[in-house]
Amino acid sequence: MKRGRHDLFFGVSISVLVLLYLMSSTDLIIHEKKVEIYPVSVIVEDTSDEDHEKLRKGMDRAAEEFHVDLSFITLYERNDQEQQISLIAREISDGAEAVILSPARPSDAIARLDGMVLNSPLIILGERFPLNQAAVGISIDYMEVGKMLGDAVRENPSDIPVYLLTEGLDCGYAQEISDGIWQALEGSDYQIRYHILQAEDDCRKLIEELVYPHPQRAVLVALDEKSLEKAAGILAESNVYSQQTQGLYGIGGTNRVLNYLDQGIIKGLVVHNWFDEGYLSVEKAVKAIQEGGGEREQITMEAYYITREDLRDPRYEKMLYPID
Amino acid sequence: MKKRTWWIWGILFLAAIGVWSWAKGSRDEGQDEKKDSIRLGILLYRGDDTFISNVRQALEEQAKLYEQGTQIKVVLNIEDAKESQNTQNSQVERMLSLGYDALCVNIVDRSMASTMIDDAIRADVPIVFFNREPVEEDLNLWEKLYYVGADAKESAVLQGEIIVDRYKEDPSSIDLNGDGKVDYVLLEGETSHQDSLIRTEWSIQTLKDGGVPLEKLTGGIANWERSQASALTEQWLEQFPGQIELIISNNDDMALGAIDAIERSKIMDKINVVGIDGTPQGVQALERGMLLGTVQSDRTEYANAIFTIAAALALDEDPKTKITLERGRYYWTTQEALAR
Repeated sequence: MKRGRHDLFFGVSISVLVLLYLMSSTDLIIHEKKVEIYPVSVIVEDTSDEDHEKLRKGMDRAAEEFHVDLSFITLYERNDQEQQISLIAREISDGAEAVILSPARPSDAIARLDGMVLNSPLIILGERFPLNQAAVGISIDYMEVGKMLGDAVRENPSDIPVYLLTEGLDCGYAQEISDGIWQALEGSDYQIRYHILQAEDDCRKLIEELVYPHPQRAVLVALDEKSLEKAAGILAESNVYSQQTQGLYGIGGTNRVLNYLDQGIIKGLVVHNWFDEGYLSVEKAVKAIQEGGGEREQITMEAYYITREDLRDPRYEKMLYPID
Repeated sequence: MKKRTWWIWGILFLAAIGVWSWAKGSRDEGQDEKKDSIRLGILLYRGDDTFISNVRQALEEQAKLYEQGTQIKVVLNIEDAKESQNTQNSQVERMLSLGYDALCVNIVDRSMASTMIDDAIRADVPIVFFNREPVEEDLNLWEKLYYVGADAKESAVLQGEIIVDRYKEDPSSIDLNGDGKVDYVLLEGETSHQDSLIRTEWSIQTLKDGGVPLEKLTGGIANWERSQASALTEQWLEQFPGQIELIISNNDDMALGAIDAIERSKIMDKINVVGIDGTPQGVQALERGMLLGTVQSDRTEYANAIFTIAAALALDEDPKTKITLERGRYYWTTQEALAR
């Protein structure tokens, strides 16, 4: 009898041990509460994510809060719209439940995406595409940006020509900014000239020509961040260049650009809250995933024209130098 | 009766083992499939360090070349710890929880690698450390830990040789005031970085061995940073007016900081400045005649080594079949002295 009890006790102990082992090593008996992770891909127009630091900070913050597994995808060649489209398709087929896109050439992107079937919602960092698959657009009002820059140009004498520098009017929202500048300068005598900076040394040649052989002054307005950085970098190399430039204005917010503003190389800059833009884009992506597309909306963010003095203004400081 | 009880318990036990194997098998399902994409986390100690920023760019280029060449999709996630080990540990934890295939870590504090190594062992995710070498004990904790860097002693010897060669060629080009000794100041990197001490020690030793008569005026730690080096040099130029003949810097960024201070002070006396790293900015200063010399580690080779090891590990391949490693886990990049 005693032996029988002993066997029973032994058997029960073994069973409990096996059961405990099963419980701890598999989720067969107790199902661990699973947190749903949303795979979201971000495709930018650039070859590196280095200049998107503030946007990424906002995205990373939202990714942590909303359990998003974020993949940041860059291009082989800057502004390659064709590759962006193929990357959208690739990311969705690889399981991205939403794609956040900073379009390289928005009108080209719309044309290429028209008729394509995308199984995941698309969040545009710019103006929302008039397509079903594009759920949300998050951007600043680029016409307004142009007007701000145009108003800044008006501080300079009207007999000095205004050079608009861009990688291409179809790149990003250069066309809209340019339209805004024209509108702001309407009725004035300013002579506006476009300079498309395609080759690596186009910007250098342009600035050198202001100095030699026939020195002349010009107001430079960059319609995109890359052109602004290039121009500022060249002006920073020599006082001779900056003496021939009445002023350099533009749009952008990388730390390099902000340093150039601080050094007085850039006279005025249009900025916005990239951190919030990044955060919102991920938040909206999750919402679109959860709601199977979500409502179509265009979120317009505030843009601000700042000068060197504003850099240390607490209103802008937090926005321009967001902490992690 | 007793025999029957034992049989029942035996069958129950075997059934339990069977269920467990099935459950585990279904969980691990698909792990043996050949991967058509890899996900690598790149963790930087400080993104705005010029040398690290250049390696980062080269890594991005390598990833794209690899993707185009192999059709294996590469997702790189690059994180900047901004010199905080806690931040970097959280970044590592997050990447491990998201199932990254391998991590490339430029660790903030080389003596604090054990936490992330323990986490990586638990998650079975290999780590390729680069530029900042964890202590050997930590690297020996697991076979899936690697290190890519430049040999600090070699960099220092090459830096020293630039000056020795120039001195032998024409002593007055280094002993600028011709007093029979070369008065120098020293700009050092972080004290916690293994390369700082080695670079300083061997650079000076090479100069002494090469017969350059040296006299140290002062030295300071500028933490690899241009601005800190610039501030220190400015102070020294005031403290030792017309005396400094040579500035020996542990890296190019600090050498450029020293040049900034010299340019700002508008002193007419020539001062020789030498750096290490061969960053594009350093090479540019060399071409402009502002820098006497630098030691270049090929950033493409550097990034290629990191990427090749990480990609092989991510695909469950043996990195040693792709690249030659010293002691099974170390890769040292080749270096070259550049002088004006």
